[in-house]
Amino acid sequence: MVTKAFKDLALLNAAKRGMPHERICFTPHPVWGKTPDEVRAYVEGPDPVSGKPLMKEVVDGLTVPLSDEDKKSGTVSVSVGPPTYRDTLDNLQEFYLNNGYTDFLPIIVPTEEKVDAMLKGTSHKPDETVGKMAAGAYPAWSYNVRQVAANAVMAGCRPEYFPIVLAVASSGMASLFSSTNSFAFSMVVNGPIRDKLEFNYGIGVLGPFAQPNATIGRAWTILSKNLGNGGIPGDTYLGSLGNNLNYNNVVIPEHEDASPWVPLHVQKGFKKEDNVVSLFRGLGVVPGQVARGSSANENVQFDYQLSDLFGTFTGFFGALIIADPLVAARLKEQGYDTKEKLIDWLYKNTTQTVKDYKSRNYAYLFDYPRALRGDEPWASWYKMPDDAVIPHFPHASDFNIVVAGGQTNAYPQAGNLSYGVSVSIDKWA
Amino acid sequence: MSPALLAGAPAEAQEKKPATALHGAASHASSGKVTAVNPKGTPPPIQLIPMAPRLTSLDGKTVYLVDTGFHGSDVLLMQVQAWFGRNMPSVTTVFKRKAGPYMEDDPALWKEIKAKGNAVIMAVGH
Repeated sequence: MVTKAFKDLALLNAAKRGMPHERICFTPHPVWGKTPDEVRAYVEGPDPVSGKPLMKEVVDGLTVPLSDEDKKSGTVSVSVGPPTYRDTLDNLQEFYLNNGYTDFLPIIVPTEEKVDAMLKGTSHKPDETVGKMAAGAYPAWSYNVRQVAANAVMAGCRPEYFPIVLAVASSGMASLFSSTNSFAFSMVVNGPIRDKLEFNYGIGVLGPFAQPNATIGRAWTILSKNLGNGGIPGDTYLGSLGNNLNYNNVVIPEHEDASPWVPLHVQKGFKKEDNVVSLFRGLGVVPGQVARGSSANENVQFDYQLSDLFGTFTGFFGALIIADPLVAARLKEQGYDTKEKLIDWLYKNTTQTVKDYKSRNYAYLFDYPRALRGDEPWASWYKMPDDAVIPHFPHASDFNIVVAGGQTNAYPQAGNLSYGVSVSIDKWA
Repeated sequence: MSPALLAGAPAEAQEKKPATALHGAASHASSGKVTAVNPKGTPPPIQLIPMAPRLTSLDGKTVYLVDTGFHGSDVLLMQVQAWFGRNMPSVTTVFKRKAGPYMEDDPALWKEIKAKGNAVIMAVGH
């Protein structure tokens, strides 16, 4: 039984998983928040898709004999069209747009010449498999270097950017995810490649002010659509509001020279001279100016400000601090001479009561079932009294810190974003 | 269901705006044509799964009602359980909440249902 809003998703996913005639019946939408009496009316009423009585559909689904089609086995191949298309640039631009291959902004049409030029940005062979990607609980699609190159061209990348796009693609992490939650994504770039490619990690680092920042982030979304089959509303994408950050995915080249701390990729086990891209997933980014205490003119305490911001986040995702170098310098003056010290303080001092915790959507949806299974710390948290105080995030490792920005003012930003994976860019050069 | 739909092609967009490329509807002279690379990845083939045999009747049978964990699933399945009680009292219903978050598998429950149940109703999304 599925609510009507997810009809296409349910039918398509059943078909993709090998049961195109799976018996699915539908209730009105939503079920969430309805009283037992309201839901009883659903159960005693019609299936809003078929128009037949819902419970007759249920009983029939369990008892009507199978057809020959229902009993079929075997393999069905799926076509995504020919390897190439031939037409004018204008018509191809329209064709790619109308077929959902783009982010609905104009693209660079991936002509064979431009794709060949992109392929010169890597030593890897065009037919080498790069990875697999799924935009949710779907069968993953696979792709090779040439297919990734076509997407990099479309996003406006230069060939020298291509190893970063390949590294992102090799992670298998899509930047468009099927959830109704409208997830956001982010990538942190570390290493000498930031200067070689002229990334902007200074003034306006998160804004539209440099080609690598702009196009590599865009490439992640375009390739997630085309290589991972993500971003099809009603099918592989269900975000109710969507997320504007999906256009570019919050590209953060770390301002390593201006940071008082070790860069993120070193924390993740790489050497400082390595070129690395680290990927994050979550709900979004908020400005530090909204934190309590952010207007203080003297004795500015960014640790308390950040903790205040994180207290509004869901602990299901992590906390990513994006600190302007001025913020980082101030924090060091306060005694946080390592990222680990700041993380330890934030983990211990960003707290909530058990009552508040249990009232959160994500706690019910994800943590409560884990608690029932005995997973910690959730099992212990659910046994505590309502007024007990617990950490807002389950683990200190849920916090990450990067330093970026132009030092025009001491403002942090904070992402409700979880660290996913760090990938070597050099491997794909 | 068409291979294009299964591949995730935007059927709605295709219906509204038939693609001009590939069909000779070029707006420029043919000498202006270029060859462009298909940016799509490679979908896996679909392995068809024969559906489980159906029961001839639910009379005297045990039907598991499995809550996926989405909000309201429990309320809905309780009402389904009550409906069976009122309308098909010979059916035994067993309510179970699937272990773990909704996206995780629960092989122990599937094993229990195979051993003790005759049918399953699973619900629901939001």
